[in-house]
Amino acid sequence: MTDLATAGISPEAVAASAPARTHILRQLLKRRTFVIGAAGLTIIVLIALAAPFLAPHDPMTQDLGKGLAPPFWAKGGSLDHPLGTDTLGRDVASRLMYGARNSLVIALFAVLIASVLGLVAGLSAGFSRGWWDPLLMRFGDVQLAFPFILLAIAILGVISDRSAVHLILVLGIPTWILYARVVRSRVLAERDKDYVLGAKSIGASRMRQMWRYILPSVWSAVLVIAMLDFGFVILLEATLSFLGFGLTPPTPSWGSILAEGKRNMIISPWLAVLPGLAIMLTVLAINMTADGAADVLDPKLKISVFRRTPLKKPANATWTDLEGRAAASTRSQPVATKDEMGPPTLLEVSDLSVEFPLPDKVVKAVRHVSFDVHRGRTLGIVGESGSGKSVSAFSIIQLIEPPGRVTSGEVLFEGRDLTRISNYDMAQLRGIKIGMIFQNPASSLNPVLSIGSQMVETIRLHLKVSPAEARDIGSQALLNVGIGNPQAILSRYPFQLSGGMNQRVMIAMAMLTRPDLLIADEPSSALDVTTQAVVLERLREITREHQTSLILITHDIALVAEFADEILVMYAGQVCEVGPVRSVIDDARHPYTRALLQSVPRAEIESGKRLQAIPGEPPDPAELPPGCPFADRCVSVMGICRQVNPSQVRVRPHHDVACHLWSSDKDEEKV
Amino acid sequence: MAHLLEVRDLKKHFAGRLGLFAGSAKKTVRAVDGVSFTVDQGETLGLVGESGCGKSTLVKTLLYLEVPTSGEVYFDGQRLTEKEAMRLRRRAQIVFQDPYTSLPPRMRVGDIIADPLLIHRLADRRSVRERVNQLLEDVGLQPETADQYPHQLSGGMRQRVGIARALSVQPALVVADEAVSALDASVQSQILNLFKDLQGHLDLTYIFVSHDLGVAKYMSHRIAVMYLGEIVELAATEELYAHPLNPYTRALLSAIPSIHRDGRERIRLEGEPPDPANPPPGCKFHPRCPIAQKICAQEAPQLKEWLPGRYVACHFALDSDPAARGGLVSGA
Repeated sequence: MTDLATAGISPEAVAASAPARTHILRQLLKRRTFVIGAAGLTIIVLIALAAPFLAPHDPMTQDLGKGLAPPFWAKGGSLDHPLGTDTLGRDVASRLMYGARNSLVIALFAVLIASVLGLVAGLSAGFSRGWWDPLLMRFGDVQLAFPFILLAIAILGVISDRSAVHLILVLGIPTWILYARVVRSRVLAERDKDYVLGAKSIGASRMRQMWRYILPSVWSAVLVIAMLDFGFVILLEATLSFLGFGLTPPTPSWGSILAEGKRNMIISPWLAVLPGLAIMLTVLAINMTADGAADVLDPKLKISVFRRTPLKKPANATWTDLEGRAAASTRSQPVATKDEMGPPTLLEVSDLSVEFPLPDKVVKAVRHVSFDVHRGRTLGIVGESGSGKSVSAFSIIQLIEPPGRVTSGEVLFEGRDLTRISNYDMAQLRGIKIGMIFQNPASSLNPVLSIGSQMVETIRLHLKVSPAEARDIGSQALLNVGIGNPQAILSRYPFQLSGGMNQRVMIAMAMLTRPDLLIADEPSSALDVTTQAVVLERLREITREHQTSLILITHDIALVAEFADEILVMYAGQVCEVGPVRSVIDDARHPYTRALLQSVPRAEIESGKRLQAIPGEPPDPAELPPGCPFADRCVSVMGICRQVNPSQVRVRPHHDVACHLWSSDKDEEKV
Repeated sequence: MAHLLEVRDLKKHFAGRLGLFAGSAKKTVRAVDGVSFTVDQGETLGLVGESGCGKSTLVKTLLYLEVPTSGEVYFDGQRLTEKEAMRLRRRAQIVFQDPYTSLPPRMRVGDIIADPLLIHRLADRRSVRERVNQLLEDVGLQPETADQYPHQLSGGMRQRVGIARALSVQPALVVADEAVSALDASVQSQILNLFKDLQGHLDLTYIFVSHDLGVAKYMSHRIAVMYLGEIVELAATEELYAHPLNPYTRALLSAIPSIHRDGRERIRLEGEPPDPANPPPGCKFHPRCPIAQKICAQEAPQLKEWLPGRYVACHFALDSDPAARGGLVSGA
């Protein structure tokens, strides 16, 4: 699971945070590789275009008396021929400029032909479900198996008077397959997405589905390949000219100048170096442009940019700063369950805040959250996506990946502050004293190892036992989570088991070390209703049996109502309401909790009744209002709600609410 | 009265992938295996079942987004063929589950909603903008939304766009394929109410596919329960929830977590749903069924009307579970 996902920030949202398509140019200009490459390319193109005005001589005029003159900086050189002359006395500078014209024009048209051919072929192949696709692709395979240069030489060799058109066709047509393959694979990925089915459902013809719906999603790939191909074709053209199969002499081209330079390597080395340099710089400029553009045009690469900047804990706030804030918050918040009756506190989270800095904003995923987990009890954390429920829980075990970071707070577990212990110590706790269960069990288990070998490995990591003993322990653990035939399951692989079975295996593995605390993130959301109940009941039984505390994170308040002892309702990164389950469910005080209880359609309420929908949408976690984040959607909103973020007040034993409706003296409630 | 939609013995089988090497077995997955039902003008039929039961394939097949293996679909009393799919596209529309993938990512909202109008020539280039604005208003969006791209909208707003697109051709039938299950609780109820309001205003007929029994109950007049490609129970919503006659329906209903601990007994199903490529013989539910008898393993029960308006596929629909029987008698 990616960290952005735990924060409730979908890749889409990240993409959306970047400016829309109209601002692609602005984004491109932010990339240094692109700017340098594009600038270099522009200069080369301008020189090529202005060749008739810039060139000091006609590129084809010979002057045998002046053969092999050196460039102006070398001994015997003159500014009349700034880069010297070749064997026939032609001006090298002029020939390079005109050569650039030829190279660029040939490459441009070759790329155009190839990309159009490739795009059409790739689209039609990817979209066809019949014989056309294999036919086209096998043809491409055959063509790729044939050495391209050899083919080009064979064709060009028989043409005595080779013009640019010949080269364009020979260099352009065969490269279609490069485009076609990428376009086809993109189309294959796109065509089964719902939006293409949606296009079909509104009656769009196949052509329309292809051109209007799929094409916009694949053209950017073509653009990037075309840019890379552009450099490649320039190299190929030079190669062919070098070998004597390029434009018929005396038409200037970089490759032929290079070939001539090779013959005079000893006497006039610049003759080979200069065209080589021109080719290299051009291709380098093109590739840099393409690389820079690929980052912007390919949205998949965009996200990886965030992952590259690791940010070590502790966060950049100073310790004194943190402690000061933590102390201040404990004073202002009446969360003191320790002195009251109940089982001892295992975990004490206070004033926890987590932020995710994005390029242009900061997502405040968790804001000053405090809660306790008691030994052997289950705390259910309920909230919508983006409410910070998962981030809160995962910051307990310091599993917030960069760029996310804990900016304040304390997580006291057995007397130690987990936000401040070393990574090594944290690793000793994680998976041993604190277990984890994730939403998707299949992706948490290793797909290429059998259940047995994964369990044996985990057991032997913690206990000094033989593999056979470990297997026995594993089989007992599976029995404990209600798997009737553990021996059979041990020899299976995760993909051979159903989601519910995999999730039970995950629970068994998490419980192997008898953890004190188990964090379960939507453990049943990926499962079917009938399996969900069985898995959760097992989870409840086994945690009770071992006096393990459980944090159950879910979006389903009914699930918490049934399986948890205490409930914590989160909204926009804050705690709305926290308390014993029955107290909160039967006598919800926060308008959000109430609305949540009323707005979800349930099988047990009578039909015909209209749902009390909560208007609006949750606020953007990067642009939170100064007051209560729920104010805009709240039915009981007051003036103060938009100005002051409410702090928690105790309304009943153990039952706290962060809402101005319940604060006794609203004027004193200052943040 | 003629039904708006009638589905008769519809089947959709997927041929399993042929292995690269000869000898790998070819399995057929019977995703939809002989389903018949009717939907009347103005009603909502809920289609519920666990993932993989074939409910999504069923609606895609009856809309001819997938070509049926066999069976008949009648719309407005006329039998549909693949060639007539275009006619169907004007009369029946679908709203998909995932608002993140069901809208074309590189089209503006206005163009997305306008496209069906242009395809079916329901508006020319000039009048289309007006119609789009009207549709946006109908689904509770601002006219400015038309200039935005889907990724600039929240999940709830995207789903509204999906509904606007479906409504643009003024269809008679709208299929909602898990249309709210990807949305957050607080947004889900808005969209459900929107569906209800639109049904009232536009006299729409819905097929509402959902794995969420609460959502299905809120939306539907009648409910069909599917298990492994077949309908196992079909009844008016209130009756189905109050007195489920099929043991699978009972288990499904009892599994829903409740915010009120009312002390009801949860029916625990043994085992897992079987592999749809290799279903058990007889009644497909019998290996997990708490009341299975010998006959269940031998003979597949047919869906038949046990009580007026109550269709059940179970050999012991009425005399099986004392609780259900008691419930029926007492009516509580």
